[in-house]
Amino acid sequence: MSVEAPPPSPGSATGVIHDLGYRRYDGPRLGRPRIVAALTWHSFRSAFGFGRGAKAKIVPVITFLALCLPAVVNAFAMSRGNARLISYDTYSPVLRALVMTIFVAVQAPELVSRDLRSRVLPLYFSRPIRSSDYPLAKYIAFTAACLVMIEVPLLLLYVGSIVNVHGGAAVWAQTRALIPGLLVGLMWSVVLAAISLFLASLTGRRGFATGAVAIFFLLTYVLSQILLQVETQNTINQSGPVQVKGGGPGGPIVAGPPLPVPTAEKVSGLFSPFTLFDGVRMWLGGTTQADQVPKPGSFGAVYAVVLLAILALSLTGLFARYRKARLA
Amino acid sequence: MEPSTSARPVIETAALTKVYPGDVTALGGLTVNVAPGITGLIGANGAGKSTLIKILLGLLEPTGGTAKVLGHDSVQEGEQIRQVVGYMPEHDCLPADVTATEFVTHMGRMSGIPATAAKERAAEALRHVGLHEERYRQIGTYSTGMKQRVKLAQALAGDPRLLLLDEPTNGLDPAGRNAMLELIERIGEEFGISIMVASHLLGEIERICDHLVAIDAGRLLRADTIDSFTKASQMLLIEVEEGTAELSTELTKRGLEPRAYQRALLVPIDGDDTYDAVRDSVASLGLPLSRMEQRRHQVEELFRTDDQQLEVVDVR
Repeated sequence: MSVEAPPPSPGSATGVIHDLGYRRYDGPRLGRPRIVAALTWHSFRSAFGFGRGAKAKIVPVITFLALCLPAVVNAFAMSRGNARLISYDTYSPVLRALVMTIFVAVQAPELVSRDLRSRVLPLYFSRPIRSSDYPLAKYIAFTAACLVMIEVPLLLLYVGSIVNVHGGAAVWAQTRALIPGLLVGLMWSVVLAAISLFLASLTGRRGFATGAVAIFFLLTYVLSQILLQVETQNTINQSGPVQVKGGGPGGPIVAGPPLPVPTAEKVSGLFSPFTLFDGVRMWLGGTTQADQVPKPGSFGAVYAVVLLAILALSLTGLFARYRKARLA
Repeated sequence: MEPSTSARPVIETAALTKVYPGDVTALGGLTVNVAPGITGLIGANGAGKSTLIKILLGLLEPTGGTAKVLGHDSVQEGEQIRQVVGYMPEHDCLPADVTATEFVTHMGRMSGIPATAAKERAAEALRHVGLHEERYRQIGTYSTGMKQRVKLAQALAGDPRLLLLDEPTNGLDPAGRNAMLELIERIGEEFGISIMVASHLLGEIERICDHLVAIDAGRLLRADTIDSFTKASQMLLIEVEEGTAELSTELTKRGLEPRAYQRALLVPIDGDDTYDAVRDSVASLGLPLSRMEQRRHQVEELFRTDDQQLEVVDVR
């Protein structure tokens, strides 16, 4: 950098001046919002390993490419005359759930656990920000990072599709299909970032943090899938139309309205963020082709409430974590 | 030093009290004014130094009393305080896998300095602390002494008017301690930044401080300038290779009051006459004089009277 020797004014270029005195800073000082913005940007970059060594970029790059793969395949297929293979609102559900799990499990600790480990937090809190600003910046940054991971492949899918369709109406149809897909991506990002940052903020050990996040998402997903299969088996065994089952808690009177899918099966969808995403998506009118969760019908509202509750809990936990950390 | 600020204390506390849950009193009615310049905050571990620093930074609310830093109230105006105060914590606080330049730049930005200026200031701050050559190395590869310097540099990055340094010589070897103390002294005197250095090593920081604030168990023991601490407490240490007893008698004869200190003698200094008397005594007895130096012994004793365990290190 060229800070070494700013030219001394009276044109005396006699060698390098090594010991410049201290210079005060009299430029503008940015206020708290701008500092938080700077921290957000810094954290966003680190979510992809920028500002770190090459090693830190491996996982973000690989996961990103993996998520883009379906869009590329689709573009290729469409150029051969096929119709669009992948729905915007589901994208490639299992791939996305798996790859996003890896991404948040590895990168959320990068944002929060590192700072805990190196005990750098007191330095942040000794600066003109409030204790809630730190988790706020981290949350915004990581939500944005997840958005990039999810939405960019969708946009690729979109671009790959519109170059292969002809006519304004067709393009418009693609655009209209894309928008709900983007919104679903937003839902994923907002929730995934909250859960993973909260879990990662509980420990300064990166390995533990990654493990905790990964296990949470994988375990809940597997649990939900097992329950779903068990319940589906039950329903098949008790062969469809017989809906009068033993009698509810109120006595033998009620037969209940004939449901296309029994509630027990839907309940199984409550146990994993990914099935909740899918339930809410379908409840809000998304396509049903992805057979992750039974079509929720009016039960979708329960999915939405549970999802919001998980989001609120995670954020509360995250912010509470740093209210205490301020004094550490 | 700076006439504009010298009138007003940089830190003013009034009956400052902090009681932690469980009735642990960290600060018990501390009232002290700290003038601009370098001030040593002396106290044993657990005396309340770190609590005081947290309150001054506006990170901890006092149970009672008030604290003002550079005219800002610590409870109401914590953000304004933190904008003009640099803080160097006692413990490790540096990420290992970032270069010093990146880290200090980032911390400058967190103090509200715009990106480009923060980069310049980081380079300068690292140069001031003597890490110009190594600034593109990852912090994890640094020695303890270098890490302490990075900690200091990050506190300087925001162009503070006041530095709060918590045990800055912790973990350093004697050479590293001296270098760090010289650096702090330079920052205080040449850069015109007021500094409060918290330490449990009186002997170490007394030589760089203009003022001393001594606290014990959350109470003020004494706050004063170094000079008034040491006034009338100047001692002359005389060591001869042999004949210490004879010298002692001779000095007493000449009206001085020598007392034994380890293998040497200590004499209170009362003007130039004292030196003359000592010279003449040694000369008249023909003793081999091996050491003669000024000591400030009273300072240490002053703190010892209250029976707390201040670690005292002799500093030449």
